[in-house]
Amino acid sequence: MNVRTLVYWCISGSTLLACGGAPVPHDALSAAQADVKGAEVGGAGENPKAALHVKLAKDQIEIAQKQIADGDNEEAARTLDRAQADAELALALSKEAKAQGDASEASEQVGKLRKEMSK
Amino acid sequence: MMPRSTRFVSGCLSGLHAARFGLVAASLSVLLMACGAAAVPPQELVDARAAFAEAAKGPAADLAPAQLDTAKQSLDGAQRSFDEDGASQTTKDLAYVAQRRAEIAAAEGGREKAERKRAAADKDLKNTQAQGLENYAKTKEALAAEKTARVEAERKAAIALASLAEIAKVKEESRGVVITLSGSVLFATGKSDLLPIAKEKLNQVAKALTDQGFKAIVVQGYTDSVGSATDNDALSMRRAQSVRDYLVTRGVPSEKATAEGKGASSPVADNKTPDGRAENRRVEIVVTPEK
Repeated sequence: MNVRTLVYWCISGSTLLACGGAPVPHDALSAAQADVKGAEVGGAGENPKAALHVKLAKDQIEIAQKQIADGDNEEAARTLDRAQADAELALALSKEAKAQGDASEASEQVGKLRKEMSK
Repeated sequence: MMPRSTRFVSGCLSGLHAARFGLVAASLSVLLMACGAAAVPPQELVDARAAFAEAAKGPAADLAPAQLDTAKQSLDGAQRSFDEDGASQTTKDLAYVAQRRAEIAAAEGGREKAERKRAAADKDLKNTQAQGLENYAKTKEALAAEKTARVEAERKAAIALASLAEIAKVKEESRGVVITLSGSVLFATGKSDLLPIAKEKLNQVAKALTDQGFKAIVVQGYTDSVGSATDNDALSMRRAQSVRDYLVTRGVPSEKATAEGKGASSPVADNKTPDGRAENRRVEIVVTPEK
């Protein structure tokens, strides 16, 4: 083995080590947990579709926590990306449902008033 | 972070001797080709593409373009990962997130659309309420005006009736309001020309009638039983006509006023006494009130 080969091995070895030893995704974990909380406060529980995505987010946070415990930090970070996307979707869906409910209620009110006036 | 394929390649390359580089590189490219060309996109990517296409068709295109763009970038990232890395876990994770981003964009578009609809409905409601209030005020005003008019009409009618009662007997009967004028006040014996004093009284009657308003009047002449029925009938008719014509000259609409000669029929008092006969010589104005 000549010097050049040794240098190659060192560089590639350190690269692999750096990747394998990815830091624990603390920030991503708290962000995902905060998003779940936000979705729940935003009324995601009242809408079935939103509730499903809250559940998916929670499940994935659990998986991510196991992955962190196993030292699979890189996988955990990606699982948390999934969790966060689900939590954000849950909030967006519940906001949409609420806006739609408000809109139809307002139209209904107008219709009722018009009907009353035409009596 | 370096994609896995690159890491793999660099790892392999670092371990190779220069002489064997060509051979391994060739076999590696075969491997990559096999992966890239034959790889079936993972379900996550298929779903992400469909979700994005769906979102782009909906209101998000106009109402949530920023979120839709984020979704597009996310999908492009997943697609790139698939092109470079095949159906790896990273590709699946990226596609999973991309699908959610597309659905978030769709939901944001839907929310914005609903909010606009609601704002329009609120505005509509406000306008309708204002219209309703205006209508209500108008109706109230109209009702008040109608009531004022009715009160005024009743007051006029009461005054008219009261003024009539001073000069004639006024009685409400089933055939209408009957105004009875004594014949001796109106005519000289055997004549049908009105006396000057009669005209004054009839002026008041005409005024009361026009003030009050009415549907129709019938002027009926009556005599006592002295003399022949033919003469009495003729005289009573001439007298009724005379009163009727005078009332018309004083503003009573001619199409509403008629005259009848009733002769000695329907006496109101005893024809055997002078007082009774005087009472029977009379003119009655039967007024059919307005509805």
